[in-house]
Amino acid sequence: MNSVLSQLQPAAPHQSRLEEDDEFERTDAASWGSMAGFGNLSRTGGVQGMSVPRVSDPTSFLDMHTDNMSSNPEAKIKIAHGTTTLAFKFQGGVIVAVDSRATAGSYVASGTVKKVIEINKFLLGTMAGGAADCQYWETYLGMQCRLYELRNKERISVAAASKILSNIVYQYKGMGLSMGTMVCGWDKTGPCIFYVDDDGQRLKGDLFSVGSGSTFAYGVLDQGYRWDLTDEEAQELGRRSIIAAGHRDAYSGNTCNLYHVKQDGWDFIGNYDVNELWYEYEGKKKAERESQTAAAAAATSPMAVEP
Amino acid sequence: MFLTRSEYDRGVNTFSPEGRLFQVEYAMEAIKLGSTTVGITTPEGVILAVEKRVPSPLLESSSIEKIMEIDSHIGTAMSGLTADARTMVEHARVTSQMHNFTYDEKIGVESCTQAVCDLALRFGESVEDDDALMSRPFGVALLIAGIDEKGPQLYHTDPSGTFVRYDAKAIGSGSDAAQQSLQDAFHKQMTLMEAHSLALKVLKQVMEEKLDENNVQLAQVTKSKGFEILGENELKAVIETLAA
Repeated sequence: MNSVLSQLQPAAPHQSRLEEDDEFERTDAASWGSMAGFGNLSRTGGVQGMSVPRVSDPTSFLDMHTDNMSSNPEAKIKIAHGTTTLAFKFQGGVIVAVDSRATAGSYVASGTVKKVIEINKFLLGTMAGGAADCQYWETYLGMQCRLYELRNKERISVAAASKILSNIVYQYKGMGLSMGTMVCGWDKTGPCIFYVDDDGQRLKGDLFSVGSGSTFAYGVLDQGYRWDLTDEEAQELGRRSIIAAGHRDAYSGNTCNLYHVKQDGWDFIGNYDVNELWYEYEGKKKAERESQTAAAAAATSPMAVEP
Repeated sequence: MFLTRSEYDRGVNTFSPEGRLFQVEYAMEAIKLGSTTVGITTPEGVILAVEKRVPSPLLESSSIEKIMEIDSHIGTAMSGLTADARTMVEHARVTSQMHNFTYDEKIGVESCTQAVCDLALRFGESVEDDDALMSRPFGVALLIAGIDEKGPQLYHTDPSGTFVRYDAKAIGSGSDAAQQSLQDAFHKQMTLMEAHSLALKVLKQVMEEKLDENNVQLAQVTKSKGFEILGENELKAVIETLAA
């Protein structure tokens, strides 16, 4: 009967196996599927017994050896992340724009990272922090959203989807997960953005930017943001903000990926080279300045005055 | 067989001296009490048809759910204790999604059926540390229809955990007569439309009430659109071709 009881309790989908036994039996991929039988049903999620560090208290262990809990800044393992991601709501939906650089310290590991994770046709997640953490848990979220759809015959709301994610990361609080993500989409309530991070924090809002370049992005974003932006203006604002952050922040850059979420799902707008666009913007500004000074000079020049 | 009750018909895991598991056999009897369900394979896709018994005019017939979606490319129709089927369908859905999550590909129709059948065997007195939680076999049979890279397929599962692939299969109370009609009328090159009307024709033969859009349900799985339950208008259209 115990087993039935445990089915009903909303057991943590990813419990530390430490409490259960010392044998550290690995559950392999096969046990996720048919072999596990009823086991699958007992969890709110499907991934069973994900391993956590084999120490008696993973949280304090990580606290001692990594710097991201900030209690020990001298720790050997430095968890550093660079990224710029942003999302904002406006009259025409949600704009999601991200850069594409992956760094490992001062080394640029990749310039072609997909930091927007397509959860389903109506939901997008952004990636900041640990790429693997974001990719894995947001794909997992996609699975949970699909199961929600099958069970309830209705699309999941952005609020519910983001809550699934925030509940998962909260269960792993202090165990080294690193993610700062925006779950964006369109549901019954219209366009919607939730910010979810590894602390388990979950915020609803109109405008967010996450990552080391977020301050630069906010600068451009805040001066240009209005609710009644047209689609083109909004897309340009998102793009412009990432370009600015990609230029100024050493840990962001390479290219900008732009998405627009509308009532009937998201559209991929395009991929833009940060340097090319930055200098195109600079060129335009320079040309504008020159034409202005030329016009001003013409206005005051004696040559222009009628004899 | 059923009148001579023996001590072997109580323990779900006890073989009788003749080598039978009575509780499993009784579970199969439960299916014969269920409403008739038909599945037909065609080169274009697989179709499923069920009879919905509407015992009262006050009953909202749309709330009877006997065809369910497992994944976008697999659907199932049931006969017997439909409540048991919900557990199996939930398992099939989770397994399908987990397969997709693990391997980044759609689950095969056979793999999905296998997963359901693995579950069907997990009954009995649970020993400590054992998470078998069903105390009896499932009293339901499923027709699992789907399309994968091997093409359109139809599987039949029963409470013993056996599964078999069929071109066309009928289960439930009218299954004997229905299976015979299917055998006479089925051919390998059927169109989807022909399969739809054959399924309804077969149901019509075995149903007590007059067949209309409220007491049957049709679904299909096609390559292009995947699993879909036919809407009221589409269903009416098929019923009209039947009368003509």
